[in-house]
This record gives sequence, C-alpha cells and structure tokens, in this order.
Amino acid sequence: MASQGRDIVDRNIDRLVPVGRLKYYFAVDTVYVGRKLGLLVFPFMHQDWQVRYQQDAPVAPRFDVNAPDLYIPVMAFITYVLVAGLALGTQNRFSPDSLGLQASSALAWLIVEVLAILLSLYLVTVNTDLTTIDLIAFSGYKYVGMIVGLVSGLLFGKTGYYVVLGWCCISIFVFMVRDRQTLRLKILSEAAAEGVLVRGAKNQLRMYLTMAIAAVQPLFMYWLTYHLIR
Amino acid sequence: MSNFEQFHSDFYQSSYTIDNQEGYNSYGNPTGERPRAGAFVTSEILLSSQSYTGQILQPTYSPDTLSHLSYTNGFDEEPPLLEELGINFDHIWQKTLTVLNPMKPADGSIMNETDLTGPMVFCLALGATLLLAGKVHFGYVYGMSAIGCLAMHALLNLMSVTGVSHGCVASVLGYCLLPMVILSGSAVVISLQGILGTLLALFVVGWCSLSASKIFTSALAMEGQQLLIAYPCALLYGLFALLTVF
Repeated sequence: MASQGRDIVDRNIDRLVPVGRLKYYFAVDTVYVGRKLGLLVFPFMHQDWQVRYQQDAPVAPRFDVNAPDLYIPVMAFITYVLVAGLALGTQNRFSPDSLGLQASSALAWLIVEVLAILLSLYLVTVNTDLTTIDLIAFSGYKYVGMIVGLVSGLLFGKTGYYVVLGWCCISIFVFMVRDRQTLRLKILSEAAAEGVLVRGAKNQLRMYLTMAIAAVQPLFMYWLTYHLIR
Repeated sequence: MSNFEQFHSDFYQSSYTIDNQEGYNSYGNPTGERPRAGAFVTSEILLSSQSYTGQILQPTYSPDTLSHLSYTNGFDEEPPLLEELGINFDHIWQKTLTVLNPMKPADGSIMNETDLTGPMVFCLALGATLLLAGKVHFGYVYGMSAIGCLAMHALLNLMSVTGVSHGCVASVLGYCLLPMVILSGSAVVISLQGILGTLLALFVVGWCSLSASKIFTSALAMEGQQLLIAYPCALLYGLFALLTVF
C-alpha cells in the first residue's frame, strides 16, 4: 500500500517538476560554489564568460564556472529568510509570522520578476535557449549580494549596509550584463551563420533588454532589504 | 569440544520436540529433566548464541530462554522481540560513536539499515532537556525535524547520483542531533545567553553538521560535496540551536 502511494506521488511529481533536468542544476561541488560566489561578488577580473558545451548540451556546473546552477540561489534564498529573521530579532520586531511574511514576499517578487522577463523575451521574439529554470537561477543570484549587505548592515550599521549593498549592486549588474551577453551573442551568431537576416535594430533591442534586466536587479536588492535595516 | 556441544544440542532438540508434542508441561516439571538440567542450560545457551548472533545476551537468561525456545518451536521461527523490532543495540552504539567523532572517516555501510529508534530517543531526549530548562517545545522540535527531513531528502535526491529514502535521511539527521542534546543539557546548568553561550552553540552546530555531512557523503559516495551538504545541515541545526538558546 505504501509503495503504491509512493509510486503515485513520484509519477505526479515527475509530471510537475522535471526532476532529471533539475538534477543538472544541482550537480555542483565545493570548488564550483566557491568560485561562483567569488564571481558574484567580484566579477571584474573574469575574462572568459563562455559557457562550455559538450555535444550540444551544456556542461554540468561542476566542470564549468560559467554554467548556471540552482544550489546557490536556493541556499541563498533560505539564508536570506533566516538572516532577515535575525535582523528583525535584533530589532525586537521578530515573530514567526514575520518570518513567513518575508519568505512569501521574497518568493512573490521572484516569481513576478521571472514572469516579467519571460514576457519581455516573448515580446521581443528573441530565440534563446534560456529556459525558465535558467531565469530562476539568474534571478536568484542577487540574494547572495543581499545577504552580504544585510550581514554587513547588522555588523557595521547603516553605513556598512549602504557601502556593501552598493558594491554588490554594481557587481551583480556587471555579472548579469556579461553573462547574459554571451548567451545572447551565441544565439545571434548562430542566426547569422544560418543566413537569417539580423536587423541592427533588433540586435539593439536585445542589448537594451539585457541592460534593463540587469538594472532591475539592484532595485530589487534595495527594495527587499532596506526595511530590515533601521 | 564444539562437536560434543553440537551433538548435545541436537540431542536436546530432538528430545525437546518429543516433549513438546506431549504438551508444554515439560518446562514446569523440573524433576523429569533433572539429570539433564545442567546440560539443558549450557546447550540451550550455546544454541541461542549460535543461532542468534548479534543478539543482546542478557545475564538473567534461563527462564527467558526456556520460554522463547518454546515459542520458537511452537510458532515456527519467531525471533526474539528486539530482533523482530529491528533494534540492534550494537549498531546503535556504533552509529552514536560515529556521530560523536566527526574527524574519523565513516564507514559507508552503516547506513544501510534504516533505524529510527535511535533518532526517536534523541528527539525525546532533546525535548526532555528543554523541559528541564523550562521550555515546553516538543511541537517545535518535531515540526522542525519533519520539515528539515523533507527538505534534506529533496536536496540529497537532487544532488546525489543515487537516491536516498526518507528513512535514511531521518535516521542520519536524528543521530546527529546528539550534540544538540548535550548543548541543551548544558543550558540547564549554565546560561547560554552570553558570548560563551553563542560560541558553544556555534561549536555544537558545526559539530552536528560536520558529522551529518560526513555520514551522508560516505553513504551516498558524493565526493567534493561535503561542505555543500554541511551548509543546509548547519541551517537546520542552527534553528534547533536558536530554540535551545532563546
């Protein structure tokens, strides 16, 4: 009986969530996580942003520091909720309800952002192989900067918070622009090779889209953290 | 010598079945068995120790052995109670020692059997020590351990090549709760609110998560991912530490 129930649950979970594809995003190891975190905080020195491919499928994150993963965003999200609870606790504004409120509002903003990006991608009719999970991963990377900003705000007060948050905003902007651009350019060069007419205006539109997405990240970072630092 | 014992026990066995068919009164009747009383006890102890290895050998043995051997022959091959429940004190002790020493490399095969009695005991011990400190938080302990088990199970299934079952995750997480029990026990004696308390809590959280990640990586053969597993375990045990300290 129990095994039947478990089979039904497994089948339904497979329908909702592509477990096989998700496993790719969690195939990480400690070295990759360390390098990626360093890249998120200091992306200025990194030269090679190209994602390595292997027989038309992207290489697992374990082997390529440019590949997106889901471990860091998920852990960063959970840590953000806990650090927010800690920040509220030090200001005596903590209650278990507020923790749930923080978690759900951050999740809601994440969903809104991903939907907005998907909508704009559809409107601009960009042919890209950015999947929804990739977009979730990219949107989740800003939580790392938020956590660093919050921790420094707790330790060093408001000035520390603003300084570190400013730095993280700049670095996430640079990270987004450079990382997204490689994917876009790849699609662009493929289209040109196939002889499809690529208009200059459309190309510019894609650049603007990338810039807009990257510029929205610091806004979210500020919006989701400023009320936690008093 | 062993042949003699074997012969003796076989002899005992055959005569015993004959007695059994006549009814169960043979045990209550010491006079009929008096000449073989000494041989009875030795052979049946040997019989039990040969057939049930890894079983707990309790000192006051003879009446229990007599009764359970009667059941063994009466109801076909019904094992003793603890073995039937799957409680194996030797393994529990081994796993506890593994948890208590996070620096020693773990054996990957000890997690093959899902054992939930040890974790249950540790959860109850945590609740009891919290109670001693004046906090009635049984519900929080169970709730957080349930949610933590679900989350770790999902994460481990996604990160490892082979999957894990819920029982294995619950078992490992429960065993590694032991240092937290020690922390909450010490909270009864000393107050944990100061710097010393924070340092002690951080140390215990690190200890718990290191041993949990060590067992997970050795049981699931995930190389280079121990710190990655240790981080979510540290988050979970940090929640328990928050419960203990505040």
